[in-house]
Amino acid sequence: MKILVCIKQVPDSETRVEIDARDGRIRIDQEAKHWMNHADEFAVEEAVRIKETLPDTVIDVLTVGPERAAQVLERAMGMGANQAFHLLAPEADYRSPFVTASWIGAVAADRGYDLILAGVMAQDDMQAQVGPILAELLGRPCATSVIFVEIRPEQGAVYVEREVEGGRRHMLELDLPAVLTIQTGINKPRYPTLSNLLRAKKQKATVLDASTLPPVSGRERLVAADYPRRSRAGQFLEGDRAEKADHLLRILREKAFL
Amino acid sequence: MSESIVIVVEHHEGAVAAINFELLALAEALARIRPLKIRAVLLGADPEALARSFAKASGLWVTAFEHPGLPEYDAELYKTLLMEVLPELEARYILIPQTTQGLDYAPGLAVRLKSGCLTGVEGVGQGDDGPFFTRTAFNGKIVLDLAPTAAIAVLAVQPGAFKAGDVSGRPAGRVTVKHSTAEPKGSRGLGLKQVRQEDSGLAEAEVVVAAGRGVGKRENLILIEQLAALFARSAVAGSRPLCDQNWLEYKRQVGLTGATVAPKLYIACGISGAIQHTVGMQGSGFIVAISTDPNAAIFNIADVCVVEDLTTFIPALIEAHQGI
Repeated sequence: MKILVCIKQVPDSETRVEIDARDGRIRIDQEAKHWMNHADEFAVEEAVRIKETLPDTVIDVLTVGPERAAQVLERAMGMGANQAFHLLAPEADYRSPFVTASWIGAVAADRGYDLILAGVMAQDDMQAQVGPILAELLGRPCATSVIFVEIRPEQGAVYVEREVEGGRRHMLELDLPAVLTIQTGINKPRYPTLSNLLRAKKQKATVLDASTLPPVSGRERLVAADYPRRSRAGQFLEGDRAEKADHLLRILREKAFL
Repeated sequence: MSESIVIVVEHHEGAVAAINFELLALAEALARIRPLKIRAVLLGADPEALARSFAKASGLWVTAFEHPGLPEYDAELYKTLLMEVLPELEARYILIPQTTQGLDYAPGLAVRLKSGCLTGVEGVGQGDDGPFFTRTAFNGKIVLDLAPTAAIAVLAVQPGAFKAGDVSGRPAGRVTVKHSTAEPKGSRGLGLKQVRQEDSGLAEAEVVVAAGRGVGKRENLILIEQLAALFARSAVAGSRPLCDQNWLEYKRQVGLTGATVAPKLYIACGISGAIQHTVGMQGSGFIVAISTDPNAAIFNIADVCVVEDLTTFIPALIEAHQGI
């Protein structure tokens, strides 16, 4: 099995994100911590588990992002991936998922992957599109929100269960090669091992500049960014901790909740 | 024929989902900006009766598209059949519910249509050169206005974002029936299975105290339970990351793919307020949010906002309550 896992580096969810009043651009706190996207950790783990059951498996990981995104590739190598690809692309206020998927497709098309995994959704832009677009560009079957995976090598297929609403699962079998987007909770992502991390440091990622790939334009453009409107009163309690606690109790009693 | 806005009707077990009427509200708002006809398409193994009832309820002209392989949703068949019917309808905007089903086929359909795909659509506005659509990003901290640049746009619409209008009293729409036996390629559907029952305790609780990633450690969940214990008829719930870590059962998850609740009081503790969670609780009567992040999106939908660390604030709150 040859597996590709698409991973993304995202800012911590508590990061300050602001809109610059001068030019309307989105500014992310430069001090922000960045991590591997939560769902992508489950995708990497799932690939490593497949490798443990099918010994001839090779796992490539790929990310699209600026130089600091190399950190998530190292982490994925630490978890057990074999080889890393870094599609170097500058930070952008908005990058159409069609562009991201096209770039990944350009790199993945001729590499003979039997299975491509991605997280179900990125925490920052919440598009949930790169995986299914990539599948379509490569002409492969796709299942999203996958919560169970079983490779059936003798049938050249993969059995999956998709998590759907109402506590139910949608079961299906896809012919390989296929693309799956992995839902969180499918497994328990392992921590990177020291020996794997050392190997990752030594064995550099293959870096490709996105500007050298065939040009592609997005199919939507960012008109403006704004702050969300408040849908409720949003009264912020003032004072120290004890004063806030007293105030909240008063409100809860006035409303007869207590 | 003339250009149209097309609603792809989601249905389960012989019933049309309520969100289709929210899509109709968006379609009508969109038609005020760009005057196109509104049509609907309903795919299924035996869709005609359901299409008639939706045509009656909505007043829309519905194309019922029949395929023997669709007792359940199938991504490949949906994309194949829609590629047959959407060009006939000269669809310019295709409205799809943002459910696990809608998100499964909308992006791929857009590629086949050479169109753009916008997910998480929560609003529509008029720009200089046509409509733009709004969606949130960065855990709900930023709203983006996006304009499609291709001739066709596929829109996955956030449940709860548009209020279904009153469509009663409209004359029933027409129904056109189409058939196809196109062979599905690359995948085989094997049906649905129930893996857990909904938690009735959560739905019936008058007060829901919910924990998010901000609880930090599993031991801190005791604080959530202690806070819930202050109220009669209360229940403890959580956001998905806690369930993924096995700190809470999945049946206690509120949000997309979890429970939708509307208690009298909802206390969100350490929850960032990403749409995947808020979609399941935004209908609550009164919302209190506790978070260390003063910019957390949960504060945008809260009645009372407390910028504090829950691990010290909840004990202070309980102590103050007992001190009286």
